[in-house]
Amino acid sequence: MKNVVKKFPGVTALSGITFDILAGEVHVLLGENGAGKSTLMKILSGVHKPTSGTINLGGKEFTGLTPKDSRDNGISVIYQELSVINELSIQENLFVGHLPTKKLGFINTVDYAQMKEHTKELLEKVGLNRDPETFVENLSISEKQQVEIAKALAADSKILIMDEPTTSLTSSEVAHLFKVVRQLKKEGKGIVFISHKLGEIMEIGDRVTVLKDGTYVGTKNVSDVTQDDLVTMMVGRQISGSYQHENADFNKAEVIFEVKNLTRRDGKVKNVSFKLRRGEILGFSGLVGSGRSEMMNSIFGAQPRESGEIYIYGQKADCLTPYQSIKNGLAMVTENRRETGFFHNFNIKKNISVLPFIKKSSGGGTVGLISAEQEEKWADEQKQRLNIKCYSTAQGITELSGGNQQKVILGKWLAADSQIIIFDEPTKGIDVGSKGEIYTLMRKLADEGKGVLVVSSELPELLAVCDTISVFREGEIVATFDRKDATEEKLVAASTAEKGKEKKRDSRK
Amino acid sequence: MTAENKVKQNTLSFKQIWQRYGTLGILALLLVILAVLKPTYFFQSSTVTQILSQSSVNILIALGEFFAILIAGIDLSVGSVVALSGMFMAKLMVSGTTPVLAVLLGIFMGAMLGFLNGILVNSTGLHPFIITLGTQAIFRGVTLIISDSSAVFGFPAGFTKFMAQRIFYVPVAALIAFAVALVLAFLTKKTKLGRNIYALGGNKESAWYSGINVKLHMLIVFIISGICAGIAGVVLLGRVGSAEPAAATGFETYAIAAAIIGGTSFFGGKGKIFGVVMGGLIIGVINFGMNLLSVSSTLQQVVMGALIIGSVTLDRFVAAENRR
Repeated sequence: MKNVVKKFPGVTALSGITFDILAGEVHVLLGENGAGKSTLMKILSGVHKPTSGTINLGGKEFTGLTPKDSRDNGISVIYQELSVINELSIQENLFVGHLPTKKLGFINTVDYAQMKEHTKELLEKVGLNRDPETFVENLSISEKQQVEIAKALAADSKILIMDEPTTSLTSSEVAHLFKVVRQLKKEGKGIVFISHKLGEIMEIGDRVTVLKDGTYVGTKNVSDVTQDDLVTMMVGRQISGSYQHENADFNKAEVIFEVKNLTRRDGKVKNVSFKLRRGEILGFSGLVGSGRSEMMNSIFGAQPRESGEIYIYGQKADCLTPYQSIKNGLAMVTENRRETGFFHNFNIKKNISVLPFIKKSSGGGTVGLISAEQEEKWADEQKQRLNIKCYSTAQGITELSGGNQQKVILGKWLAADSQIIIFDEPTKGIDVGSKGEIYTLMRKLADEGKGVLVVSSELPELLAVCDTISVFREGEIVATFDRKDATEEKLVAASTAEKGKEKKRDSRK
Repeated sequence: MTAENKVKQNTLSFKQIWQRYGTLGILALLLVILAVLKPTYFFQSSTVTQILSQSSVNILIALGEFFAILIAGIDLSVGSVVALSGMFMAKLMVSGTTPVLAVLLGIFMGAMLGFLNGILVNSTGLHPFIITLGTQAIFRGVTLIISDSSAVFGFPAGFTKFMAQRIFYVPVAALIAFAVALVLAFLTKKTKLGRNIYALGGNKESAWYSGINVKLHMLIVFIISGICAGIAGVVLLGRVGSAEPAAATGFETYAIAAAIIGGTSFFGGKGKIFGVVMGGLIIGVINFGMNLLSVSSTLQQVVMGALIIGSVTLDRFVAAENRR
């Protein structure tokens, strides 16, 4: 791609990007959300036509691609939200659109035998040990991803674009994915790997191209750069590694939030108790499925609990539904922004005002009037306070980057003057720059006397932000570390203590 | 570069214009077509009255249907609710209840039928399509039972006289419809309840996490739909002068069509009361126009169906063109 420019009304999404992919290499595309990675990818897949510039594919020159051009020239995209068809079997997914046929009398029928044979070969390549006739809905996310890769191979693609493929994978699944990627590389495929995770880039990438605000920063050999170099290239500034105060001691501080003997009927949380002190950020570590999110959902009242008591600033609080919890000053920034966080049909200001309006109403949130000025005020305050990047708070929330969407969601809770804020995977799918901003905000909230609880699967995140880290295993807190004593090794060891059992789970999930 | 920006901005604003006034444009277009085809009949003082009077029942039902669609649901029982609450009112009136009380009780009956829909949707967790498909048959059946399958007429003169009144060519029925529309426009724009319903329609999970009592709001939505159908029952009673057990059969189709033509998203969370009123008027004009052009009643069904598909397609087509 040479000097590719893409303009949208009011914004230049890409200006003069040059990018090349060689056969048999992994070329990492790195940049904050909003840097232009998605736009570039969409130009390659034929969704958008570039405003100017040329694309050269295997000797053929294009000024713009259609989805068909893209496919015909061997480009496959594996999106973050996988596009496999759940209702079909693996083999049908692989060959949908170009099913192998055989003659039966004088009509063409699907040649299932041949399809199954092909599928077996392809699944072997991507290391997926499943019957080709298995329905895709029965597969785990990582298995679905493998099906997507196999699908790209079935279409005989030369270039595979992977958009943040590791976001929802466990570490062993990531290791497996990397094995497959290396295999593809050996076969001469060109792979564009989009990721935020610097560690991964160092491990899998050959070359890395950094984009920033739609401009081209540079292309480097991965072996020539360090993680810090990349961060500097991406954000133009160094992100400091820790967000805690030196020598902070919370033992004498007032307990502002306490949970006593919380138990869920489904057994996902068993008799959990903990305390949060003023100024402290308390983190929860553990494997995916260890019950951390389930506990938070039960505290917040979004999911039922069997027993347990909650104290906010020493006062016993009911918190049996989100409405009650909100009235009591609890807030929950959920893991999935799209599903449980924002309203796609609302603009920024409506997304922010929905919460304070409900908190200040009666009758289950139904009674009361909307005040346009009040709404404007709340939205502007949060836009300022959280540095939400938008041209107007009347802008649709789906137009924002993940980091800015997360800020809007945090904004709705702050506009409602929440006191205890639960963050569940607060920086999932968010770029490095916004991550830093969110960490800084969390610390600021704790300093203001608000309670901050964090669930995260990213250990460096917990270590950088939390003062105290509790480790969850099978619905129980099995260890609690002071930040000074905590290391990644200790946290991992605590969360996977029962080795035989845990290993099995890890490799399956 | 600047030229292109300009074009983009223009098309963007054209899209906004279409979204805001597109349905109004369709309505105007239909009126112009009628005026050209039948100028002598069209330019009569009774035209406005007739169109409004034919549209008001439809607008009223569509207003309730709008809320059911707004929460990504649907209410197929509205036609039967019109018939049952109308029949209930008629029975009360002919047995000597004062019209005002009978009307209030009839509307209350509509509310209760909506309440039943809401309770069933909430307690079973089934899609409103299935629940209201069932209650549509149940309510119709009950109407047939209480009426003994025959029409009820002979209402107090006060009631029929009042409903036949008009103010500056505008029949009382239309005034009622517009009044209800105004109240509901206020509800959707200015109240927290209305805002929450939009939120719920956009994303039920997010709504729950934001403290919105999902079941309560769903219940309220079906009650609103029931009340609107109940009021439509009053208006229909006044217009026809009798309560027919088969009254308003198939009206849910018109109500859904009016809401969708008026720009309500079938996926929930998007739509405006003004659009629904326009949608209701468009259907009224189509009906009126076909009578004027003496299209046979059997053919009218075909034309109506085609126009519904056509107008919604046009809307989608224009919207999609401008999104590029």
